[in-house]
Order: sequence, then structure tokens, then C-alpha cells
Amino acid sequence: MLDLFLNAIAAGILLGGFYAAMTVGLTISFGQLDIVNIAHPAFIVLGSFCTFVLHEHAGLDPLLAGVLLAPAFFCIGIGVYSVYYGSFERRGDESLRGLAFFFGIMFILEVLLIMTFGVDYRLVETSYIGESIKIGVIGLPFRMLVPFLAALAMAGGIYLYLSKTFTGRAILAVAQDRLALQLMGADPVRTKQIAFGIGLGTAAVAGSLLIMLGPVEPSVGRLYIGRIFAIVVLGGMGSIGGTIVAAIILGVVESMVATFYGPSWSPAVAFGFLLMTLAIRPSGLFGR
Amino acid sequence: MASRIVAENLSAGYGAVQVLHEVSLRVESGETVVLLGTNGNGKSTLIKCLTGIIQPTSGSIYLERDGERINLAGRSPQEIVNLGVALVPEGRRLFPKLTVTENLELGAFRPAARERLKDNLAFCFEAFPRLAERRHQMAGSMSGGEQQMVAVARAMMSDPQVLLIDEPSVGLAPILVSRMIEKIKELHDHRALTVLMAEQNFNQAIKIADRGYIIVHGEIAFEGESADALKNNEMVKQLYLGA
Repeated sequence: MLDLFLNAIAAGILLGGFYAAMTVGLTISFGQLDIVNIAHPAFIVLGSFCTFVLHEHAGLDPLLAGVLLAPAFFCIGIGVYSVYYGSFERRGDESLRGLAFFFGIMFILEVLLIMTFGVDYRLVETSYIGESIKIGVIGLPFRMLVPFLAALAMAGGIYLYLSKTFTGRAILAVAQDRLALQLMGADPVRTKQIAFGIGLGTAAVAGSLLIMLGPVEPSVGRLYIGRIFAIVVLGGMGSIGGTIVAAIILGVVESMVATFYGPSWSPAVAFGFLLMTLAIRPSGLFGR
Repeated sequence: MASRIVAENLSAGYGAVQVLHEVSLRVESGETVVLLGTNGNGKSTLIKCLTGIIQPTSGSIYLERDGERINLAGRSPQEIVNLGVALVPEGRRLFPKLTVTENLELGAFRPAARERLKDNLAFCFEAFPRLAERRHQMAGSMSGGEQQMVAVARAMMSDPQVLLIDEPSVGLAPILVSRMIEKIKELHDHRALTVLMAEQNFNQAIKIADRGYIIVHGEIAFEGESADALKNNEMVKQLYLGA
């Protein structure tokens, strides 16, 4: 029983790290920029399939493929934000129409993937994916440990970028007062383009982690929409550290529920947890 | 570096409403010039024109920097900041959910100021010890007087040659207004700044003014070549001093 408990916690922590990788891009776009990018999980799945192609046809390591894809996704992000800005944000009707815009992107991505790859599950095989290490009674499978470590590295890098560079600081400020940011000499549109680009760049890496964790089909992203938005809100809308902690809490709780009550309950936990936090602490766990 | 700002026959407004009518004004290098006027006479509109927040409908604005003449009309606020003209905006406009230090660091965004960030930060904390004590506090949770300090310090972080200040006294207790005005003079003296300050608190503003303009209904009603000239003007006595 104790073994089961400890293993559930360890698995939950690793799962939470993976959730953090999926969420950190949304922490920037939704938390910092107020852009409701509901297509974020769809971009993650796109990242998974691009990783699949690079792995299958060029023999690249999945994680390396994800990192190499990130700059391309960064550029896609700049393009997507530019269209979003020109069509909605500049006119001030981004709230509802912007949401519809990202819904549209989500469906288009899904359909494109289904047309290209079909509805079958795809997976990647590498030497380390089947392995695991054992610490005492706790087993840590590499297919979860690698995403966990990659997620921490990515989130750490983004945290440093946001807090230590001038453009990073401008990203933290841009949604608070646009004109004041201009008076600092920064271009708000450019700043948001870069920020949104970074958000999508993380989706490429998260996609490679997703397909490392298990087989992926084109619409699997929908399963994660609720979870990752819940994590952004729990983490305090824009805090990178908060995102990691919230993701790990959610991962542990889900893992415990899945172990002791059955996996079908675990999605309900995400929302139950979100509702409870919002009732007790509306600004999230780490809201400023 | 010598920097002066000249505006000639400036007209501007919002949509169909014209606020400024052919306003001309100059701020010589190293001067402190005050722009006096009660609410709704066009002080802020003029400052907004000078900083590119709104564009004039006619007239010209230029910055002269070491003899080089740079046209400011048609430029964006970020371009104007990059030329060394900083604004302390009306209502302070801090980033409320960033700490004092983060606000100040953002002030040094422009490339020319980045390498001097450390020096300028130390300078600002020395000028405003209160901010050094509260450097990790969220700007939005500070008192009005402290927020005004952050706003002025943040503008100083951009290492400006020209400092424009829009109504530093708004919302402050009289004792704090007086301190803020003295602090502005101190900064001016330390950094050889060219200062233009829009203010409606005549008695306070005039303490540090080399010259001044009185703006009424969007026109320059009086140009005083010294603080005394402003004090002894009949219109000033009528408008501000209740004589």
C-alpha cells in the first residue's frame, strides 16, 4: 500500500512536469498577453506529428526534433499573432471573435492532420523510452522522466528570459499598460509578437514530449484544453513558477485519484480543483 | 549634450474637437520651463503632441541635439524616447503588477540606456531612498506619493536629456507636492536636464521655473521670461493668486 502511494506521488510529479511543459506557452499567451489561445493544445499535437515525421524519416531523437522545431513554431506564432492583431485586437473586438479565431485554427489543424496522417495513433520509439530507473520502491520510467526534466529546463529558461532580459520584462508589462510601454521605448505589437511566438515555440517541444509519453492521434489535444487552462489560472495567470507548482499539484492529485479511485475520475479532479481554488483564492495560487 | 525643444504654430485635438490653436513654445538646453494652466486648457494635449502620443494637425515640433535638428512630428512615442526625451505621464501610468525595481528596469529599455542600467538604478535609489526600501513591492500597492517617485525615477532610467513632466502634483498632499517639485529641481541640477513641466499648482511650479508659459483655451496667453515676470503678471494674479 505504501509502495503504491509513493509510486502514485512520483508518477504524479513527473506527470505534472509534463503538464507544465504543455502549459508554459499558454501561461505567456493567456496569462501575460490576455490572448485566449484555445488552439494551443492543437499546436502541441502538430508538434507531435512533426516530431513523428522527423523521427520516422530523418531518424532524429524526438526531443532534439522538438527543440529544432521550436524556431519554426516561433515564426508561425509571429504570423498568427499578426493576423490576430490586425483582424481583432487592433479594433478592440478580440474577446469573442478572437476566441472564434483560435477555435477555427484548432479545427483547421486537426483536419489537416487527419487528412495527412489519418485518425490512427502514432508513436515514436527510442532506446530510452522503454527503460526506467528504480529508487528504492519507486520506479521512474524514462518516458516520463525525460519530459519532466525537459519541462523544468524549458520553464527555467523562459523564467530567466522573462525576468532578466529587456524584451522579457516588456512582455511582463505589455498587458498592464500599452502606452506606458511605448513611453519606455518598446513597441507593444512587436513585444506581443515575440511573446506569442515563444508561446508556440514551447508547443513544439511539448509536442515532442507528448508523443514520447504515449501514442498520439490528431484530436488528442482536446483532452488537455481544460487541464492546461486550469493550470494557468491556478498558477496565478502568468507566473512561470506558479505554473510549475500548479501543474505538479494537479499531476499528483490526478495520479492519486487514478491509482486509488480509477482513471475515469481524474479529469473531474482538474475542474474540481480549479473551482475550489477560484472560490478560496480568485487570483490563483501565485497571483500578483 | 545640449538639447532644446521647439514647437511652432502647433494645432492639435481629438477628432472634431480642436484643443490647441497655433501654440508656439521653446525649451532651451538646461532650462526648466513650466507650462501653467488650469484644467482643460490644453497642457496635457501639448505634452502628448511633444511625445508622439497624439499627432498635431498642423505646425512643427523639433528637437535640436548638439546642433542637429530632428523633426518630432509624425514620430511614434517609442522613437521619441529613443531620442532621449522622457515623459512622466499624467496619472503616472506605472505597471501596477510589477515591482518597483522591475518598473525601473523597464525604464532603461531604450538601447542607449541599457548599459547604464546599474549606475542609473543606483542614482535613482539614492535620489529616492524610499524606493530603495520598497524595491520589491508591487508598484500598484504603493501610496500616491511613492508612485509619483517611481514614475519620475522610471523616466530618469532612460537616461534622458529632456524630461517632460505632466502634472506631478495631481493627487498628492501639499507637503508631498513641495518635495516632489524640489526633487525635480535636484534631478535637473544633477543631470543638466532640459525640463518642461505642465502644472496647475502655480505657487509650487514657479519655485523651480526659469521661464514659463500660461496656456488658456489652447493658446499661449502669456510668456514670462522669468519667475518674477510670471508672478507679477496681471492675469496670473487674477487666475491663480485671487487678487
